[in-house]
Amino acid sequence: MSTERVTSAIRDCLASGTALRISGRGTWLDAGRPVRASNALSLAEDAGVVSYVPGDLTLTVRAGTTLSEIASITSERDQWLPLDPYGAADSTIGATLATASAGPLASSFGSPRDLLLGLEFVNGRGETIRAGGKVVKNVAGFDLSRLLTGSWGTLGVITEVTLRLYARPAADRTVRIDLDGPEKQVGSIVRAIVSSPLAPYTVLLLNAAAARALRIGASPVCLIRFGGNDAVVSAQVTALSQISRPEELDAKIWLDVRQLDGDAHSTIRISSLPQRVVANAARMLHDNAEAIRTCIDPRRGTVRIMVSADGDGADADGWSPDMNLRGDAGNHASEIIFEKLPAEIWAQVSPSVVSDPLSRGIKNAYDPLNILNPGILG
Amino acid sequence: MVAARLAEIVGESHVLSRQSELLVYNSDGLPGYRRQPRLAVFPGTREETIAVIRFLAEQGLPFVPRGAGTGLSGGALADDIVIVGLHRLKKILSLDVENRRATVEPGVVNLRLNRHVAPHGLLYAPDPSSEAACTIGGNVAENAGGPHCLKYGVTLNHVLAMTVILPSGEIVELGSTVGERDGYDLRGAFIGSEGCFGLALDITVKLTPKPQAVRTLLADFMSVDQAAHVTSAIIASGIVPEALEFMDGATIRVVEDSIYAAGYPRDAEAILLIELDGLEAGVVADLETVRRICIDGGARNVRVARDDAERLKLWQGRKKAFGAMGRLAPHLIVQDAVIPRTKLPEILAAIHAISQKYNVLVCNVFHAGDGNLHPNIAYSADDPAESERVHKAMIEIMQACIAAGGSITGEHGVGLDKMGYMESIFTESSLNAMCELRGVFDPDHRSNPGKVVPVHSCKEWHGVKAARKARTETGASPLEAEPSRPVAG
Repeated sequence: MSTERVTSAIRDCLASGTALRISGRGTWLDAGRPVRASNALSLAEDAGVVSYVPGDLTLTVRAGTTLSEIASITSERDQWLPLDPYGAADSTIGATLATASAGPLASSFGSPRDLLLGLEFVNGRGETIRAGGKVVKNVAGFDLSRLLTGSWGTLGVITEVTLRLYARPAADRTVRIDLDGPEKQVGSIVRAIVSSPLAPYTVLLLNAAAARALRIGASPVCLIRFGGNDAVVSAQVTALSQISRPEELDAKIWLDVRQLDGDAHSTIRISSLPQRVVANAARMLHDNAEAIRTCIDPRRGTVRIMVSADGDGADADGWSPDMNLRGDAGNHASEIIFEKLPAEIWAQVSPSVVSDPLSRGIKNAYDPLNILNPGILG
Repeated sequence: MVAARLAEIVGESHVLSRQSELLVYNSDGLPGYRRQPRLAVFPGTREETIAVIRFLAEQGLPFVPRGAGTGLSGGALADDIVIVGLHRLKKILSLDVENRRATVEPGVVNLRLNRHVAPHGLLYAPDPSSEAACTIGGNVAENAGGPHCLKYGVTLNHVLAMTVILPSGEIVELGSTVGERDGYDLRGAFIGSEGCFGLALDITVKLTPKPQAVRTLLADFMSVDQAAHVTSAIIASGIVPEALEFMDGATIRVVEDSIYAAGYPRDAEAILLIELDGLEAGVVADLETVRRICIDGGARNVRVARDDAERLKLWQGRKKAFGAMGRLAPHLIVQDAVIPRTKLPEILAAIHAISQKYNVLVCNVFHAGDGNLHPNIAYSADDPAESERVHKAMIEIMQACIAAGGSITGEHGVGLDKMGYMESIFTESSLNAMCELRGVFDPDHRSNPGKVVPVHSCKEWHGVKAARKARTETGASPLEAEPSRPVAG
């Protein structure tokens, strides 16, 4: 597998007038709108390290390399890619970037766009394009790396990426705080944590259904991850005990958090002003439907809601994201991002996110015959 | 006719058309390049700006958006076309302390925003050395960095949303002021587009809480090589300093001779200015680690600033270093290459050898922590022989950085100055892809024409429209005397 194979697959499609469904290891294929394509192109075999210079904290890999492979390669040198998107640990870096998938670490380390230094992709005309570079700071030319990130394969097939790494912290500790009290009390704990001078890697609030899925209790819970030198982590864990009673957890919990989607048929992300999310967090955590798992990142202002088939919230058609977060009519107070929906719902809920003239112009320039993942963004 | 109509929009005193008045706009922060604009117009409100851009669109006239003109790539020069200066659009439109964000007009000066938010315990992280003059709009156009970007990231990582007027006069919202947005990252594409995609009418930025503790260290060395190795050792240790800046002996002495004297040791061959921030407990522990790395790496002395006054003085010398170089010669050429950090000792040795070969004085003052070099050469552009030597030395330095796997610009932008190097780091199809992106935002290439991507790299543009628009694009060929222009071919 190589860039040439991708190029020739695209050229074949151009010649035959067919379209391509692009995938990594196929762990997330039910996300996005239905794709109308008769051919498939998997990047799963196009994996491996192209170059790794630990002293530069940069890593170049082929797009099919999995996040768990990257974790194991970098941990040998006490480094890591602080990117923990929801989904399987063996999903590929190419798919992670293409879908701009992030997880709880994003509130400290940013989303994929912030960790990406450069990439190679093949556009819908079969041309190989390189953007960015391999150094940590770079403004040479227009920023095609950001453009491709989150474009869901519709502008080009990502074949190689260069990433910024970080050194593993000397201390990396995770604690839990039970949020089993009444709504008002939970609200004040959440506000106290968010407004404190603490600087954890991650603060994540989970509702009871999510906590049960993780087997860490039957009531809402707050997971907090601290990283840094020993002194700063110990000082923060101590300071946290002034707010509540933290209990230590194994860091492996984060791998399970990433899998919280389980068999959800719908995953919806609401992104809003952090304080608006903080103000509504306690109430959202107390919504107690077994079929709806909720993760809230109060510092980033995101609420991720996973709806599975076996409960009250099963009917995604009638299901509506929290109205308080949506804001009053006409007041655009939140962005709602649909990650996964039953196929028949997409057209009604979110027909397209690329229908504006600039997005259409870019699509026409990079994939004029619409052969790359047609339909996935609408 | 054009001037008269523009004067109707913005008022007569805000349009310049006399050549003598326009002289001050014929260069930016890089005085080796000069282009004489035909007209300059300075709208005072958002509505005036929209009216100006729409009028220029109706007339099919090319223009160059300009902020404070502090850029270091020749990017804000207008060759016989209209300058649209945005420095009068300087309102801070809103500040949301709770959610840590502010919305500003493009002409707001970077430092003014910082002073405005400081009483609330917040800061705007990107801090170009020109922060006292440069504007947020210009920062967006250049994707500006600065010393503190090592830890906090560049402009790209701090802009949430913008309202943009495209060269056609159409207004679009990029990004989202309330959260993440689905679809293509048009905000990311616009940031760093160097004025070629249109101009921002307002910008919503993310603010950062002021750190609980800050410590600034000054480590001095008797060799450049030792300081370079210590830089690599600090990065490898995993500590991410807020800033890690390098100044060589030549720079130290010129700063100490100037009004910006910061108390650097004059006899040192290199200093590192290192700043750590965060929670008190963590900073204290990191400070000890960094001090030990410096001493083990051969530092003669490591001094920790005792208070804010001393800290600011140490920074003042660094931030004004380019200005201090004005003492050496009337012109200054500044480079902005980025190299992999492990190559620092090797490249600094190469730069030294090149400066000896061409008998030019290179002052190195740069963001060592992210490998972003700024080799500067002070010279007189009026001396053709010296200009020629400077010109050749800069080309060799740039080639060495490219060969080391680096980039031609880390934060100053391509503009006119580095356009000639674009083909040495990007393939034809990559450059064409950039042209195509530009073509979506600005189909007629009217906004800042002739910058960033060489015209001949744009297939469609070159083949179909070049003849029609050739006149507006001739600005792409810099003058012979321009020092960093690579040798043709």
